[in-house]
Amino acid sequence: MSTAEIFDRGYRKFDGERAGLGQAVRSVSWHTIRSILGIGRKGRHKVFPIIISVIAFLPSVGFLALAVLIGDLLEGELQPEYWELFGLPIVAVVLFATLVAPEALVRDRRDGMLRLYLSTPLTKPTYLAAKFIAVMSTMAIVVAGPVLLFLVGNTIQSLGPDGFGEWIEVLVKVVLSSLIIVLFMTSVSLAASSLTDRRAFASVAVLGVIIGVSIVVNIAVERIGVSRNLLVLDPFAVSLETAARIFGNVSPEFTEAGDDVPTWMVYSGTAGWILVGLGILTDRYRRLASV
Amino acid sequence: MSVITTQNLTMQFGAQRALDSLNLEVPSGVTGLVGANGAGKTTLMSIALGLRGQTSGSISVLGMDPAREAAQLRSVVGYGPERNVLPEDMPASDFVKHLSEVRGMPAGEAKGRASDALWLVGLGEERFRALGTMSTGQRQRVKLAQAIAADPSLVLLDEPTDGLDPVQRDEMLALIRQISNDYGIDVLLSSHLLEEVERICDNIVALDSGRLVAQGPLTSLVGDTSTITAELVEIPDRPGAIEGVEQRLRQAGLDVQRDLNLLRVTGDDPQVTLDAVRDAIAAEQARIRRVSTDRRTLEDLFTEVPA
Repeated sequence: MSTAEIFDRGYRKFDGERAGLGQAVRSVSWHTIRSILGIGRKGRHKVFPIIISVIAFLPSVGFLALAVLIGDLLEGELQPEYWELFGLPIVAVVLFATLVAPEALVRDRRDGMLRLYLSTPLTKPTYLAAKFIAVMSTMAIVVAGPVLLFLVGNTIQSLGPDGFGEWIEVLVKVVLSSLIIVLFMTSVSLAASSLTDRRAFASVAVLGVIIGVSIVVNIAVERIGVSRNLLVLDPFAVSLETAARIFGNVSPEFTEAGDDVPTWMVYSGTAGWILVGLGILTDRYRRLASV
Repeated sequence: MSVITTQNLTMQFGAQRALDSLNLEVPSGVTGLVGANGAGKTTLMSIALGLRGQTSGSISVLGMDPAREAAQLRSVVGYGPERNVLPEDMPASDFVKHLSEVRGMPAGEAKGRASDALWLVGLGEERFRALGTMSTGQRQRVKLAQAIAADPSLVLLDEPTDGLDPVQRDEMLALIRQISNDYGIDVLLSSHLLEEVERICDNIVALDSGRLVAQGPLTSLVGDTSTITAELVEIPDRPGAIEGVEQRLRQAGLDVQRDLNLLRVTGDDPQVTLDAVRDAIAAEQARIRRVSTDRRTLEDLFTEVPA
């Protein structure tokens, strides 16, 4: 039986039930994900997402390849902890936050689509929610994807967690850590992107916040000798340290002479960055003229 | 029922009053919102869409309060902005479908409706083309298509003929007229081009510096007046003929204003006045350069506004 449909039936009144705000948010999110990943767009828009995905998955694929080739020899020193795997593709995550994520907001302001969206049932908060969901969803591919791949690959190679209970525990920690890192990076990236209508400027702003602040904090700690507690202001380090703490570990950077930076301080630092980012984002859009 | 009703609607931006105690009744059909740049047209549209809150006064659109029922209202109101808002690398069909979904069309229905709307505006064959490759006229049509695709009850169009050549403009105006006539969609059309508004609108709302200049059916605001202008020619063999015409008209009870050879005659009934002018000229055997019925245009609405 043919599955063909006739769409050109002529303009007519619609007497069905209209979908609610949920569909509007889903539609904008999906449209944004397609735009970010370059789906349905020219080839040049697909270059960054592909390069970033390759960089993100390379370490996990490399370790899995080693596991297949040398098996048990990989256990022990050579086998990275799951939380450490969040740090390996961090370049890809930062590249994503810098070069790809700003597209979600900047393009709408540049094209004037924001104005059109706000003439629909969407409001500024629901529009931002749709954009946030879209960026988080795509960023999750490069944050959670490699670690989950590593977990599944290890499990297939019998190198994964012992027993179902432990496996589920690792999975939950991976998902929770990914969620926090994604939320963190999305918040910082969209906040910096909200300050300009130009993608290049947005990328510089995101880079300035993530790398710039990180450099300043590290100089203060390593060169000037300020307390290591200041590292909670380093966006690079604090987000990864949060993952480490969720797994019950402390990274060497956050400990000195047996003294760890307190976990509550790490969590507060991460939460602070997320809240400040959200605050800047919502405040910036609250001030934007609609039409 | 009125499509839009306002009572003492006022919008203040700092020291500037964008809308000044507007009392409007916008009925069904195509309504022209006219006024120069800065008259308050876009501000009124923003408030009508619930995108801005007014400083004081009230507004009702399709019986809803835009401030409190914004989402519900905007699902049945289409909007075609003045600015170019089209993402360059997106096919027209995807763009219209996406906005239909955002306006509440079920996903399956949105695809068909996007196609239908694009056929209606004459872009059926072009619907899979990227928006960035389209001409200005085609882009304006896409903007109209996205505004009507979700079957709105009311469409707000901000300068929809901006950037169009005369042929494209005629086609766009015909389309706007069609969506009102054939599909019962009410249209509020903002424009600073009075001539095009006069051509297709049923009703007029004229704003000047935020104040209401005039509103009502087009036929009551523009068209023939009851004043007849007669330009006569002074000729040597009929001295006093012009004075004779003037006197006869005054005797007939008509109001006559004379400026050299130009007589402006006003009466209650344009046809009776015209007949009286014709009879007086014939009786005095005066020579005529022209006789015409004065016509009131939209432009006159603005020139008659006291400073």
